Amino acid sequence: MKFSLKNIAEPALFFLALLALWEILVKVVGVPAFILPPPRDLYTSFTAKFFILGHHSLITFTEAVGGFALSFVLGVGFAVGVVYSRHLQNTIYPLIVILYAMPKSAFAPLMVIWIGYGLFSKIAIAFLVAFFPIVVNTVVGLKEVEPELLDLARINRGSAWGVFKKIRLPNSLPYMFAGIKVALVLSVTGAIVAEFVAANEGLGYLVLQANYSLDTAFALVILLILALLSLALFVVVDVVQKKMVPWSAEVRQLEGSF
Amino acid sequence: MALLIVVEDVGRIFRGGAKTVYALEGASFTVQEGSFVSLVGPSGCGKSTLLKIASGLLPATSGRVLVNGKSVDGPLENVGMVFQSPVLLKWRSVLGNVLLPVEFARLDRGEYVEKAKSLIRLVGLQGFEEMPPYELSGGMQQRVSLCRALVTDPQILLMDEPFGALDAMTRDELDVELLRIWGEKKMTVVFVTHNIQEAVFLSDSVVVMSPRPGRVIRELAVDLPRPRAIEMMSSPEFGRYTLEIRSMLASAGGTRPPAVGSTT
Repeated sequence: MKFSLKNIAEPALFFLALLALWEILVKVVGVPAFILPPPRDLYTSFTAKFFILGHHSLITFTEAVGGFALSFVLGVGFAVGVVYSRHLQNTIYPLIVILYAMPKSAFAPLMVIWIGYGLFSKIAIAFLVAFFPIVVNTVVGLKEVEPELLDLARINRGSAWGVFKKIRLPNSLPYMFAGIKVALVLSVTGAIVAEFVAANEGLGYLVLQANYSLDTAFALVILLILALLSLALFVVVDVVQKKMVPWSAEVRQLEGSF
Repeated sequence: MALLIVVEDVGRIFRGGAKTVYALEGASFTVQEGSFVSLVGPSGCGKSTLLKIASGLLPATSGRVLVNGKSVDGPLENVGMVFQSPVLLKWRSVLGNVLLPVEFARLDRGEYVEKAKSLIRLVGLQGFEEMPPYELSGGMQQRVSLCRALVTDPQILLMDEPFGALDAMTRDELDVELLRIWGEKKMTVVFVTHNIQEAVFLSDSVVVMSPRPGRVIRELAVDLPRPRAIEMMSSPEFGRYTLEIRSMLASAGGTRPPAVGSTT
């Protein structure tokens, strides 16, 4: 990604124009504010409720990142288990695939029964939605190793641990990062949906409150905050990936195309 | 010179689902210690399979392989392998890749660093030690893979169409270089190729194989003087060898008969 003047000025101008068009259209057409408020209302709402937003963002952030972290640790561990154990592959993996086919957010009401009303039921849903992309990608990354490398290890009497540490694990990193990126964005969605179902804090709860009082401007502000939250998490992972996995084809391709 | 490798009546059947493939059938040949032997034949004739069986990575369905007089029943020690693709680890430098077998064999890495560096110099890659492999050209990557195969000082170097994916000029260059390194290191080389000229140019002996199921049609000794230079490829003696192999393959049904004026 290159930050030239053109690459910043062009999208900036575009978004400004979009905002201006929105403001003008809303005024001209006379759309009621509870349907679509003008962007200026959003700004007013944002500044007025800055601290409330901050508090609830932190809650949602904690739920999403907590769920993600859990899914990462358990997901990678599980992926390694599946790759190395035929028993796990024959028993738990099919079960996971069945679970994968279910809409994970439909578990949210159940989680309230099982875990309760607080933070942990939200973390559980964020974990559920983030777990699968991590497992699936890591399994592929651990498995897709050139057979010649395994021959090389056999000829030199390499240990299974050596093959894992020197070949399989580093080989899986680019795949793992692809899974992490999907998982992080999904975990934010998971946390929000869980908050919709039952919560008294968090951005999902806040959106519902805004809806009940027809405060559309505030609801839109929250959605923007959510977008920024997901984007920030994505960028952090991207930076870490470029540091840790500079050989990843994906990384090099993106560098070339932006 | 002593007999190092004896391949005796080796057969290999692959059973996969409803399909049974007879890859090899009664293949026999011998390799003298310190010699350069090529296996040549049409694609799919089981050359690579034979190489894998000789290295002990793949068991034979029938027959046996003797190395140093002992029957092979598992991966051989003291073997270096070069594959068709360089298969370098993208996350390691050139030097780190060359040292990979040393680490697998749990040898003292420190002792081998100098050796690895001198091999890298030997193939003309000095200055590239710390580079990641994906910044190198295909030919350079294959040189690194050659260093990796040689770092543990193997008695036998097994090469499976190592230069097959490279352009003709790079291949010629690497063939010459391989002969130079072989002259210096004195290891035994078994080299798989489908390129007849390459086989003749490199080898003391060419093992000509039939189409699948692969058998050995003939072991042809190549009595061309060494050191060999690429210009020799246009000499009449050289041409006689390639023509002979070509007609053997043609009568075995592997390739079409040589056309008039054809050079390969």
